[in-house]
Amino acid sequence: MAIGRFLLKRSAQGVFVVWGVVTVVFGLRYVTPGNPITFVAPLDASQQLRQQIARELGLTRPFYVQYFDYIAGLVQGDMGYSYIRGVEASGLIFARLPATVELAVAASIVAVALSIPLGVVSATRRHEPADYAATGFSLVGISTPNFWLGIMLVLVLAVQFGLFPTSRRGIGFLPAVAMLFTEFRISGLVNWLAHITLPAITLGTYFTALITRLTRSGMLDELGKPYVRASRAKGLPETLVRYKHALRNTLIPVITVLGLQLGTLIGGAVITEAVFAWPGLGTLLIGAINARDWPLIQGSLIVIGVGFVLINILVDSLYAYINPQVVH
Amino acid sequence: MGENNDATRRSVLKAVGGAAAAAAATGAASGQETTTSGSGGQETTTSGGDLPDDFPVTITQGQMPTTLDPQNHRSTPTDNVVLHAYEGLLGRDQQGKIVQKLATGYERQEPGRVRFQIREGVTFHEGGQLTPEDVAFSINRVVQQDVSIASPQADQLAGVTGAQVVDGQRAVDVMSDGINPIVFSLFATYCDIMQKSWVQERSSSEVAQQMNGTGPFVLEQYQSDVLVRFSRNEDYWRRPPAVTQLTFRAATESSTRVNQLLEGESDVIVNVPPQAIGRVRNANSARVSAAPSTRIIYNAMKYNVEPFSSVEFRRAMNYAVNLQSIIENVLSGFADPTGQPTLEGFFGYNPDTSLYPHDPAQAEQLVEESGHAGASITLHTPVGRYLKDVEIAQAVANQIDQLSNVSCSVRQRDFATLAGELTDGNIETGPDFYLIGWGNATFDASQTIIPLLTCDGALTSYCNEQVDQQMDQAQSQANQDQRDQTLQQVNQTLHDQAPWIYLNRQYSVYGVRNRIQWQARRDERIDAYAMEPADGQ
Repeated sequence: MAIGRFLLKRSAQGVFVVWGVVTVVFGLRYVTPGNPITFVAPLDASQQLRQQIARELGLTRPFYVQYFDYIAGLVQGDMGYSYIRGVEASGLIFARLPATVELAVAASIVAVALSIPLGVVSATRRHEPADYAATGFSLVGISTPNFWLGIMLVLVLAVQFGLFPTSRRGIGFLPAVAMLFTEFRISGLVNWLAHITLPAITLGTYFTALITRLTRSGMLDELGKPYVRASRAKGLPETLVRYKHALRNTLIPVITVLGLQLGTLIGGAVITEAVFAWPGLGTLLIGAINARDWPLIQGSLIVIGVGFVLINILVDSLYAYINPQVVH
Repeated sequence: MGENNDATRRSVLKAVGGAAAAAAATGAASGQETTTSGSGGQETTTSGGDLPDDFPVTITQGQMPTTLDPQNHRSTPTDNVVLHAYEGLLGRDQQGKIVQKLATGYERQEPGRVRFQIREGVTFHEGGQLTPEDVAFSINRVVQQDVSIASPQADQLAGVTGAQVVDGQRAVDVMSDGINPIVFSLFATYCDIMQKSWVQERSSSEVAQQMNGTGPFVLEQYQSDVLVRFSRNEDYWRRPPAVTQLTFRAATESSTRVNQLLEGESDVIVNVPPQAIGRVRNANSARVSAAPSTRIIYNAMKYNVEPFSSVEFRRAMNYAVNLQSIIENVLSGFADPTGQPTLEGFFGYNPDTSLYPHDPAQAEQLVEESGHAGASITLHTPVGRYLKDVEIAQAVANQIDQLSNVSCSVRQRDFATLAGELTDGNIETGPDFYLIGWGNATFDASQTIIPLLTCDGALTSYCNEQVDQQMDQAQSQANQDQRDQTLQQVNQTLHDQAPWIYLNRQYSVYGVRNRIQWQARRDERIDAYAMEPADGQ
């Protein structure tokens, strides 16, 4: 019951955060230089044409009217019409979201698959070559700009050796799975995997390095604690001590960071998406910013903001489940 | 696409390509040739002949089209996609010459009224014959704000006030407020024809996502921001295109586009950056195809603020810049120098006007004469809007800064903000000295000079009564020779008065797979109708 109240409280706070995001994002358009009419109308358009287009886009109405209209629309799932494209912003955004979520999840999987074993090896073989190799990898991973890494991976693995496609998304994950079960063909999944591998490695490398360091330091911390010494003294096998007890405790903060980083990956995949011509939310947002397409900018930022809030609530819930003291 | 070429397909394409080349060379193709005359040009169409069974082409641009509505945008990447499904009354050939498309004849009836004869036997993709009503509706949809949409293209048909069907004839009259000497130039570049009933039966959102034109390609698949795929229009009123399936994709990063080309994932890519030219040239499977575009890059100097109010100072800035060095070192030779606002090949270009040579001594002397020795100026430049814009601006500023009596720095600006300052109708709000580019696909000097260099121009940085009078005169001259002379005089004046630092004519640089026979056009359009399988591919 206490957990239920806790989640209800968190959800209510989340609604206020989202409302704050909407308000700030809406306000940004009035303090940001640059006029969307510049992109909709030509540079040499007459003032009359500019005014006509502004009227058609609803930009001549007072600020507060636009704001309340926007909020009213948002509550009904309407994010307005893209100035530049003349279609519903929500349609464009939700069409792009699966590609970005796919990329972020794939990058997270790459990161988890690599970083936890690396971190564990690094901690359990402290000051041995394996530790130096893992910490060296972490340093390189954190220091390497992902646009450079992406280009290098493409040049070597795609252009030089022809192992992967250079860019684009290919088939989506769900259609690929659907193809497997309805047509019994694996080619869709192979195509999906071929396209997502390099962007996922590119996006996941920094994340991998980060989690490796976190796992290493957490593991070292745990291995030095009295319960580990007690376990060893009781004669528990070392594998059991390390991988059952110490690692489990190490992973609690790691899971928190993983959850929060997923939100960062969704919002921060812009560069990777540009390098791989990945049709995700990041490139949509950048294009919208360049064109001052405010309904699209607002919608994208709100979706990203809501994503963050939901992930936070989820992480909080997990915490509450793992450690009920948080509730109080 | 390229990577799917197997031996069988290659042999078919080879045979077809060879046959087409032979037919073209002898003029004895199995089809027939028809010629139709108009008052201002003529078009040759060839029909018949074998077409490839399988010749898919993929084109990668920097951006995907913003919409599929041909009359509700102002972007070249969008134009490049929609022009494959939609067509205008007139068009332009590879060299920029006006040719007939959906009009079979066009003539001036009286000042302010021109008449287009509408082609018969043309069908829209979703059915229905092209009618004069469709043509009049399409023109009115652009120029009249109460018809369907407030089209951002209204000013592209400058002076046109409306269109109406001519009773009893298969013709449409287009009205203008004045003589409108460039009306046919405008229609050769702008105003795609849509089907009236099709547009009226759909919401603007549907019109933005579906297509129904008369062009050589039919929309097959549209995934917003991912791809646009067309198939060949077998019922096209001309010979159907050689390309069987046409796909447009986008990659914002130039290196990504180059990789796609070299890997055979794309057949034509836009804007190969100078630093990647060597990679493309060294590849066995692809080449570079470049063409001078219709875009001029220049540095405007506001005529009413010091030190740019001095003609000596403005001329000095032109002498200070080593344009040839910029073209060679910054643009890898893919640019032409300019010395007047009108580009070579345009109507009104003055062939006798010289380029400003690089002469720092002369520049320093002119600065002294201007009385502005010691001036400190700042060049505002957009970032990433034009090919190597920041690098060009830095080179210009550096060369000016090397003069002993002027210092110059660069300020990088967001394009939207800079453009907003330039287009607000107030000359005072813009920066005093800025780099900008101007595209003019009408091939007529007036469409550059009027907006940029007359007192009331929408983006003007200059005001000169003599220039204004001469431009007024040019806009009322129906005699093309006299008008040409007038415009040439204006160009000479504008060279001497140096309201700009005249920089380069931008090139459109494409990467093209060798399996395709195609050449870049001057108007930045990528016309897949002109693509054929390359000989031997």
